Amino acid sequence: MTLMPDSIDAASRGSRRLANAAMWSIAAMAAVVVYTQLARIAAFATYSLLPLERDTHLGASMEFFLFEVPKVLLLLVAVVFVVGVLRTYLTPERARRLLAGRREAGGNVLAAVFGVATPFCSCSAVPLFIGFVTAGVPLGVTLSFLISAPMVNEVALVLLFGLFGWRVAALYLGTGLAIAIVAGWTIGRLKLERRVEPWVYAMARGDTREELPPRWSERLAAGRVAVREIVGKVWPYVVLGIAVGAGIHGYVPTNFLASFMGRDAWWAVPLAVLLGVPMYSNAAAIIPVVQALLGKGAALGTVLAFMMSVIALSLPEIIILRKVLRPVLIATFVATVAVGILAVGVLFNAVL
Amino acid sequence: MHRIEVLGPGCTRCKETLRVVQHVVESAGIQVELVKEESYARMATLGIMSTPAVVVDGIIVIAGRIPKAQEIRELLGIS
Repeated sequence: MTLMPDSIDAASRGSRRLANAAMWSIAAMAAVVVYTQLARIAAFATYSLLPLERDTHLGASMEFFLFEVPKVLLLLVAVVFVVGVLRTYLTPERARRLLAGRREAGGNVLAAVFGVATPFCSCSAVPLFIGFVTAGVPLGVTLSFLISAPMVNEVALVLLFGLFGWRVAALYLGTGLAIAIVAGWTIGRLKLERRVEPWVYAMARGDTREELPPRWSERLAAGRVAVREIVGKVWPYVVLGIAVGAGIHGYVPTNFLASFMGRDAWWAVPLAVLLGVPMYSNAAAIIPVVQALLGKGAALGTVLAFMMSVIALSLPEIIILRKVLRPVLIATFVATVAVGILAVGVLFNAVL
Repeated sequence: MHRIEVLGPGCTRCKETLRVVQHVVESAGIQVELVKEESYARMATLGIMSTPAVVVDGIIVIAGRIPKAQEIRELLGIS
């Protein structure tokens, strides 16, 4: 490469880029065509390619499986890619700069929204917490961010949209943000700053480096990395989850669950939250199961509450946060978020 | 000699990052001081908020993702 004169090098790079772009556009168009024809393809594969009869349990399960798996995976790849690209615009460093010195209330709203949009992994929770708090972001505002980041994520939203439609996805986004805002604000009002491990405030404040804005090729590369890392990790759960869902779809009688997960059972929501908090799973594994539960008569509020408590609160994250938060603050944090989820579940069951 | 720090609280992504860096350094046969840093204090001093992160001679070069081997090679000036 170094032997080539710059102009030839640039020209060949340019044509390679063009070829790449053409390939990607063709792949994207093919994906759209497949996506719109999935129902037909799934029915054809089930009843013509496989020796299955219509109106049988196995046929219904198989058709459901062959329709949902490619649909959800295609959506997931598309959305994770776009989100991966968009996230290069909002790094945790930039979020911190925008949140430092904000007042509560407005700060909580902004932090919850940033939590959705910023890349986050629960093993970064502690460095992020220290980074925010030492930069002067109020405790409650920081916690709003830490609540919304795991709870409202793109994988959950895609699956909810793909399997339940945009209304449920929007409800989830809205109520998830609301819980993050209200819980963070409440904890801020309780003045629990002295329940943060004192060494955190004694920490030297690391300076945010001013980075150069990434080039477009780097933003697109970030999208591809996101697809590889996120979809690469969750796809087995999606397939497994949909397989379980397909089984329930074909075999469990409708309204089977209505008696004990329906809206008339008052204890259903608290029980769902209680079961969900210690559980640790990703949205991908849980939503297809959730869908099957709903289809068989479980109430939406109960099911959403279960899902929120599984992905927003988990034992490993609580243990990680214990490094910076004292037990009283941890307990308050878990209790506030759990109460918020409970309220959302009960509200949905009452309204819908 | 470069001083390379791989920072992270010990999650799988951080271990993977350490593995990538180790592999590059070993296959190039260069002498470096490679440290796996799990202390939050060090991360805070450097201003790191997303892990895994790679720091070369006190400068953050990677944050919040697993680097590719090629990136590490370029950062260390290995061709």
